Amino acid sequence: MKLSDVMGNAGLSVYAELALILFFLAFVVIVLRLFDPRARTLHDAASRMPLDDEHPQTPRSARRS
Amino acid sequence: MNARLDTFTYDDDIVRKFLWATLIWGLVGMLVGLIIAIQLPIPGANIAPYLTFGRLRPLHTNAVIFAFAGNAWFCGAYYSSQRLLKTRMWSDGLSKFHFWGWQAIIVAAALTLPLGFTQGKEYAELEWPIDIAIAVVWVAFAINYFVTLSKRRERHIYVAIWFYIASIVTVALLHIFNNLSVPVGPLKSYSLYAGVQDAFMQWWYGHNAVAFFLTTPFLGLMYYFMPKAADRPVFSYKLSILHFWTIVFMYIWAGPHHLHYTALPDWASTLGMLFSVMLWMPSWGGMVNGLLTLRGAWHKVTEDPILKFFVVAVTAYGMSTFEGPMLSVKSVNALAHYTDWVIAHVHTGALGWNGFLTFGMAYWLAPRLFQVKEMHSKKLMEWHFWLATFGILLYVVAIYAAGATQGLMWRAFDTTGRLQYPDFVETVMRLMPMYWVRVAGGSLYIAGLVIGIWNLYKTWAARPATYTEHEVQAAPLAAEYVDPHPTPVAAGAWARFTGAAWHRTWERMPIFFTVIVALAVVVASLFEILPTFLIKSNVPTIASVKPYSPLELAGRDIYIREGCFNCHSQMIRPFRFETERYGDYSKPGESVYDHPFLWGSRRLGPDLARIGGKYPDLWHVRHMYAPQEITQRSIMPAYPTLQTTPLDFDGIQKRVDAMVMLGVPYGDAVRDARGQAEAQAQAIAAGVEASGGPKGLADKEIVALVAYLQRLGRDLRTASTSAAVQATPHATSGPPLAAAGSVPR
Repeated sequence: MKLSDVMGNAGLSVYAELALILFFLAFVVIVLRLFDPRARTLHDAASRMPLDDEHPQTPRSARRS
Repeated sequence: MNARLDTFTYDDDIVRKFLWATLIWGLVGMLVGLIIAIQLPIPGANIAPYLTFGRLRPLHTNAVIFAFAGNAWFCGAYYSSQRLLKTRMWSDGLSKFHFWGWQAIIVAAALTLPLGFTQGKEYAELEWPIDIAIAVVWVAFAINYFVTLSKRRERHIYVAIWFYIASIVTVALLHIFNNLSVPVGPLKSYSLYAGVQDAFMQWWYGHNAVAFFLTTPFLGLMYYFMPKAADRPVFSYKLSILHFWTIVFMYIWAGPHHLHYTALPDWASTLGMLFSVMLWMPSWGGMVNGLLTLRGAWHKVTEDPILKFFVVAVTAYGMSTFEGPMLSVKSVNALAHYTDWVIAHVHTGALGWNGFLTFGMAYWLAPRLFQVKEMHSKKLMEWHFWLATFGILLYVVAIYAAGATQGLMWRAFDTTGRLQYPDFVETVMRLMPMYWVRVAGGSLYIAGLVIGIWNLYKTWAARPATYTEHEVQAAPLAAEYVDPHPTPVAAGAWARFTGAAWHRTWERMPIFFTVIVALAVVVASLFEILPTFLIKSNVPTIASVKPYSPLELAGRDIYIREGCFNCHSQMIRPFRFETERYGDYSKPGESVYDHPFLWGSRRLGPDLARIGGKYPDLWHVRHMYAPQEITQRSIMPAYPTLQTTPLDFDGIQKRVDAMVMLGVPYGDAVRDARGQAEAQAQAIAAGVEASGGPKGLADKEIVALVAYLQRLGRDLRTASTSAAVQATPHATSGPPLAAAGSVPR
C-alpha cells in the first residue's frame, strides 16, 4: 500500500472547505480592521510616508508627544 | 522622551548600479525579442545550432523578466526601502554581492541558453548550478533586507515594503520547489516531478513568477514612486492594504488556468479559474488606487512625461489584469490557449506595466541619483513616451488579431463537417502580416528605449565630479513603543479586541508579518498541489505506457535542448477540432515518465503528442534537415547539424540511471543502456538508408530524435478504447503537410 492509496482513502476533502473558511475569516478580519474609524489617523500618517522621507530631521517621538 | 538624532547616509551607489543594469539588460532582452520576432516570418534567420528560435526565445523571456524587470525592482527597492525605513542598507557588501551575483547569473543565462543547456520548463530554463547560484544570491539579498528592516528608524512599515517582502519570500519558495531536480551532469538535470505533477508545479511557479516578480514588486514601486512623482499621498491607504492582502491570498491559487483542458484534474483547473476571476477585483482596486493618486493633479500629466509613463503603466496593469481573468475562463481559454493571444497579453503586461513603470521611475530617479537639476532633455522623454506607446499599440493589436485568427482557424469546420483548414501551416501563414506589424511595433518600442538610454546617459554625463552623500538625521526607534495616537483602553475583553492594540503590535513586527505571508502562500500552495501527488485517483496510470527506450530518452533530451516545446505542444485537448487534427486527446497517465513534462504552452507548429508512426523515419530525417523542402511554407528552423553531430552514447547510461533514481521502471536498460541504444540506432539508420536516405546516421543525433518522435503517442494505441478517429483524406496538392489528418490507427 502506497502513501497515495492511504491519502486517497483518508477522506481529506473536507479540509479544502475548512481552508476556504479559514482564509475567508482572515479576510473578514482584515477588512473589519481596515475600516475601523479609529485606524484612520494611523493610515493618514502612513500614506504620507513616501513624501516626508527626504529630510526627516525632526525626532518624531519628541514632536508628537 | 528620546530626542537623540542619528546621522546617517543612504547608499545610492547601489541604486545607480541597478539602474544601468536595468537599461542595458532591457535593451539586450528586447533586441533578442526583435530577432525572434523576425525569425518567425523569415525562418532563414535561424542559425542552427546556437541561434534558433527554440534556443533564443527562453533567452528573451528570461532576460526581460529576470534581468530587465528584476534589476528595475532592485533599483527601486534599494532606493525606496532605505528612505521609507530611514536607514542605510545594513551591509553595503551584501548589496554589492546581490548586484554582481545577479549580473553574473544573467551572463550565465545568456551563455548557457543559446548553448542548449535548459531544464525545459518555461521561465525556469536555467540549469541546476545556476539555480543554486540564484538561491545563494537571493538569500544574501533577503538577509540584507531583513536585517535592514530590523534596524529601521520608522516604526510603521509602509505598504510598498509589504509588497517587497511578500515578493522576496514567495519568489524564494517558487524557485526552490519548481527547480528540484536530479543532476546528470554539470549542466543537465531531470525534474523531480513528472507529467501532471510537473505541469502543475511548473505553472504554479510560472504564474506566480508573473505575480511575485512582475506584479507585487512593481506594485510596491507604484505605491512609492507614483506619490513621489505626483507629490501627493496615495489615494487610499486602506485600499492599498486591502489590495495587498487580497493579492497575497488569491494569486497563489491561479496557476492552473495555464492548464485548462489538459490532462490536469478538472477540479484543479476550475479552482484556478475561479481564483483568477476573483483576482480581477483586487487588481482593479490597485489600478484605481494608482490612478486616483493623481486626483487634482491631472493637469500635471500633460506637462510631465514621468506621470505620462506612470498613467500608461497603471492603465496597462488594469488592462492585463482584466484580460488575465477573462483568459482564465475556460470557454475563452479554449479559443486563446496555444495561440498568440497569450503572447499579446503578456506583452501588454511587460511592455506596458513593467516597462513604463520602470521608465517613469528611471526618469524620476536619474536627476536625484546623478545629482543634477533635471533630466538632460524633456523633449526626448516625450519622444520616448510616444514611440513606446505607439510601439505597444502596434504590437498588441496585431498579435491579438493573430491569436484570434489562429484560434478560430483551428476550430473551423466546413459544411461537410471536416476541418476547414486541415493543413496547420495554413493557419500560420495567415499570421505573417501581423508578425510584420509586430516587428514594426517592437522596433518603435526599442527605438524609444535607445532614446531613453541616450537621454539618461547625457544626464549622467552632467554629474558632479564626486557625488555627495547627503547626511540624513532621524531618531532611532525608542525601546518602548509610544503610540502617537493613543486610543483610550476600554474595559472588557471585546472592547480590548476591537481596540486592536494587539494588531498595532503586530504591525510593528516585520518578521511576524513575513511568517504570516509565507504561511498564506504555503498553505494555499499545499492545498492545491498536494492532492495530485498524494491522491491516486488524480493521476490514473495506464498499463501500456512504458518508459522511453535509452535512445528515445537521448532523443528527448535533444528535443529539450533545441527548445522544440517552445512551438510544439504535446497535449491534445478534448475538443473535436483537436482530436480530428491530432488524434485521441491526451490522458494524465500518458506522461507519468516525463521528467520534465513537455506539454508546451504555444503552437507555432502542430501538436506532436501522437506524431509517432505518422510519417516514415526518412520523412523526419529530411524534415529536420530542411523543413521547407517537405512543407513548402513551414516556418520551422532547419537543423542540418543533427545529421553531422555525433550522439553522446557514453552519457546515455547515466541518464537512464538518473531516471531510475526518479522511479522510472527501466528493466534491462538499467545495465545495458548503451547497447540497447546502439542497437536501436543501427536499426533506424539502416531503415533510413534502405529507403533511399543518407548513409551513416547510426551514431548521429538525428536517429535519437527520430526514435523519440516516432515513439510519441504509440503506447496508448495498443490500449486505446476510444472511438477511432477517421483519418480525413486531404486532397491537397504537394508534399504531405505536417498536421494534415489524424493519426492512422
